[in-house]
Amino acid sequence: MKTKLFISLGVAACFALGSCSKEEASSADGSGSASGGPGAGFEGGSPLVTEIPKAVIEGSPRPKGMTNLAPETKAFPKFNVPEDATLLSKGKTVTSSDDFPIIGEVDMITDGEKEAGEGYFVELLDGLQWVQIDLEKSTPLYAIIVWHFHSQKRVYSDVIVQVSNDPEFKEGVTTLFNNDYDNSSELGKGSDQPYLETNFGLLVNAKATEAQYVRLYSKGNSTNELNHYIEVEVWGKGE
Amino acid sequence: MMDRREFLKRSSIASAGLVLGAPSALAQGGSKNGKINVALVGMGKQGRVLFEAMSNIPGLHFQAVCDIWDYNRKGGFGKVRALQGHEPNLYIDIEEMLEKEKDLDVAIIATPDFWHSPHTVQCLDAGLNVYCEKMMSNTIDGARDMVHAMERSGKLCQIGHQRRSNPRYTYTLDHLINHNKICGQIVNVNGQWNRAVSSSQDIQVNPKLSIDPERLKKYGFDNMHQFMNWRFYRDLSGGPISDLGAHQLDVFNWFLGCQPKSVYASGGNDFFTEREHFDNVMAIFEYDAPQGPVRAFYQVLTTTSSGGGFYESFMGTEGTVKISEMSSASAIYRENSAPSWEDLVKDGYLNKKPAPAPPPSSDGVASYESAAPEIFALPGELTKMPHQPHLENFFATVRGEETLNCDARHAFESEAPIFWVNPSALQKQRIVFEPSQLSV
Repeated sequence: MKTKLFISLGVAACFALGSCSKEEASSADGSGSASGGPGAGFEGGSPLVTEIPKAVIEGSPRPKGMTNLAPETKAFPKFNVPEDATLLSKGKTVTSSDDFPIIGEVDMITDGEKEAGEGYFVELLDGLQWVQIDLEKSTPLYAIIVWHFHSQKRVYSDVIVQVSNDPEFKEGVTTLFNNDYDNSSELGKGSDQPYLETNFGLLVNAKATEAQYVRLYSKGNSTNELNHYIEVEVWGKGE
Repeated sequence: MMDRREFLKRSSIASAGLVLGAPSALAQGGSKNGKINVALVGMGKQGRVLFEAMSNIPGLHFQAVCDIWDYNRKGGFGKVRALQGHEPNLYIDIEEMLEKEKDLDVAIIATPDFWHSPHTVQCLDAGLNVYCEKMMSNTIDGARDMVHAMERSGKLCQIGHQRRSNPRYTYTLDHLINHNKICGQIVNVNGQWNRAVSSSQDIQVNPKLSIDPERLKKYGFDNMHQFMNWRFYRDLSGGPISDLGAHQLDVFNWFLGCQPKSVYASGGNDFFTEREHFDNVMAIFEYDAPQGPVRAFYQVLTTTSSGGGFYESFMGTEGTVKISEMSSASAIYRENSAPSWEDLVKDGYLNKKPAPAPPPSSDGVASYESAAPEIFALPGELTKMPHQPHLENFFATVRGEETLNCDARHAFESEAPIFWVNPSALQKQRIVFEPSQLSV
């Protein structure tokens, strides 16, 4: 973990909110939390619409000592995708560098549940860990959205999103997002900004890259050294 | 009712008894593995917080995990395996655990409040030392039972008022307030824990992971909502005044060194109208402290974060100590008429903060204001997880190296007035305490 911060939770109370709301984005305010954000998306397309879980904050203070944080995402980014865009990842097989998750199961990552309550997230070991989604066939990908853990104002370290047709990710790897600014994970130095987790997730522009596999890395967070995922959505060209 | 002298005397007797009676609270000859064998009872959110804090403490062996929810139990299993590389024994029922696990030294109890007392008593009677989360119980009699069990068993029972082991708090009390009398005469105390509506919502649970209704019923819950949100129910907890307020009202009584003589409280369901417990509570306590009378105001609001979160403020004739687990909410303010604190700064007791910005131009009201106080930073920065020092104190005491910072008797004497806040608010009446209302 690059920046260790012990956040006082005070008591056991953690609070979550209710159901999802369907949201298409309001303005460019939600930048996708990366430097420059995902951009406007695909010309001539229509706005990507997905279920956004309701906001939940445990009341923890904002992480301190991070001067390069992206502005907090206040709305789901307006991002256009082609008319044939569909959610490819739901129910697809997920594997992980951690064979025995500490809490939960990796199939939670593609089960469509994005709430911040109990039983919605998987917790993986400390250090650099990855999860990988097999989309079952190679297809142009338009957008990837990741929710790590959004009931605290956490920042996850070394968030790296890659796609490939090689399940081993040895060949033909395209990196779509990388905020490992010092290359501590040795997957290449990234120029994207670290960002605060919110209920809007992180939207990554997949730039119509053709791939069957999506791999996401992280290396701990500003509250503890562990890695978490609630949900990952991969949007791409449908049938 | 207990005055300061009696409060301190009884506290020191209780502590001394524990020290003299049990140089080491480990079983005769200590554990076979040379470590303290720990059972984790309750592995929900708070159980996980405590586990993370304990993961930094050497010499512990997490031997068993007990929780009625498969999800929590499996999570506890995963955490122990990830930390120590072995698989703990898993139990749904604490009685079965105590029956089968014969070489446990310690139980860490982080179950819902209404289970604290039964679980603590069972573990103490089984010969284990116990660290139990606050509030001791949802009833004052439940808390009394814990004190009796601790003293009957001769085992240790630490209650999770973790500020009692926080260096900022201990330094401030010992060196600044007691030794240097930095506040002068403390005349008022103010504290709060305010949370925004967005942070006070019902906890959601993935319905696919629900507990079998029969098991829920067996352990006192009507349904999963109650299981996840037991803090909102009168039979299961004391509500926000005990859930959040217990931490800070404990500091009030600890710092003043006595129990209050009365409480008057007001509460209501102002926003969360369906909840059994009040969502907002305000309480005024009166003390006859040795230094003079003290009035203390406390509010816990779950409908607004106004006022900057959580802190306690001790206001005296010469200075005010504002203290919190958050360093950003901690400071000490010197009254303009108080003697200089430069010697304290020179001796390293205090760090002076930059002078505040001058007030805006006079608007005709300024002449009624007191001069702005000087501001000093409170030393004692905590670089560990908030619960770690309190757990360290507990385990060091188990080894016979320290004494408990908050054993069950100390905790009871401090918590007892809290049990009367909700009754005062419900009856809309001031309660002047009888000794029997605050004693074990």
